[in-house]
Amino acid sequence: MSDENDFQSRAVLAEKGHKFEDFTPGQAFEHHWGRTITDGDNTWFSTQTLSFNPLYFNEVYARAAGHPKMVVNPLLVFNATFGMSVEDLSEGGGLFLGVDECEFLADVHVGDTLIARSTVIEKRLSKSNKTSGIVTWLTAGYNQHDDKVIEFKRTNFVRFRDPDVARSQS
Amino acid sequence: MTLTGEGNYFEDFFSGQTIRHARGKTMCENDNVGITLQVLNTAEAHFNEDPARNTFGKRLQFGGVTIAMIIGMSTQDTAENAIRELSMDKIRLKTSVFHGDTLYAFSEVLETNAYDDISGIVKFRHWGVNQKNQVVFEGERRVLIKKKNQQS
Repeated sequence: MSDENDFQSRAVLAEKGHKFEDFTPGQAFEHHWGRTITDGDNTWFSTQTLSFNPLYFNEVYARAAGHPKMVVNPLLVFNATFGMSVEDLSEGGGLFLGVDECEFLADVHVGDTLIARSTVIEKRLSKSNKTSGIVTWLTAGYNQHDDKVIEFKRTNFVRFRDPDVARSQS
Repeated sequence: MTLTGEGNYFEDFFSGQTIRHARGKTMCENDNVGITLQVLNTAEAHFNEDPARNTFGKRLQFGGVTIAMIIGMSTQDTAENAIRELSMDKIRLKTSVFHGDTLYAFSEVLETNAYDDISGIVKFRHWGVNQKNQVVFEGERRVLIKKKNQQS
């Protein structure tokens, strides 16, 4: 390594994410950042996904239907809540398997700010996967008034830090 | 207002009705990288294809994008006249999706239930398939849909 790359040998990885061993049923997470959903977010997301209900991109139509502003596409509410949970829950590696019991509990309008919280429901070993276990979380999204707007159960493969230890302790 | 189409009000849906949605979409950077980062999903496999860091050696589409895309492609036919989305359940991601894959959407009406004077609830099952006809997505969804001849 040349002298001008010396910084690389000094650098310490700013590690992100959790592994299978880090999760315990009942453990709660308050996820980072929060996200204000803007007009641009909602219109772009809705048109990009061919989600052609004018409540999501025609303000006159949304107001005529009784909404104060355009309605945020529920699939964007789902994705934003999910997205904010990723660093704590699944960034450590492992495929996303599925979602169950997703309820859209309240309308979200452009300008609302979402935050996300999760609880570990269950962790178990997989018969076929030797490098990861399976974890299920309950994740919920809340608006700026702390009203719960969405809730869902998500299941992922989550990588073991040490496969031998993880499999013997689970 | 007559900004929305006919044929997709509550009364138009019947149990067993199965729909092949007209438009497919080839997944691109705007879809996967755009939406993944728009929603603050920090998982690197969706936006770093360096083989040293990504076991696929290519960017894996975020499953949330696949879910939104299949539900989205079904929306004109299943929810153009919806009042609100109610729920999703039994969502399964069965095949990995990568940039360049083309997705198509299918829906089946599982049940219809009148809700009040102006609306009813339709429960759908949806499927997403890729250009090789592999099922990439399957799931259920409930939508509150306007009855005909109701104001807004």
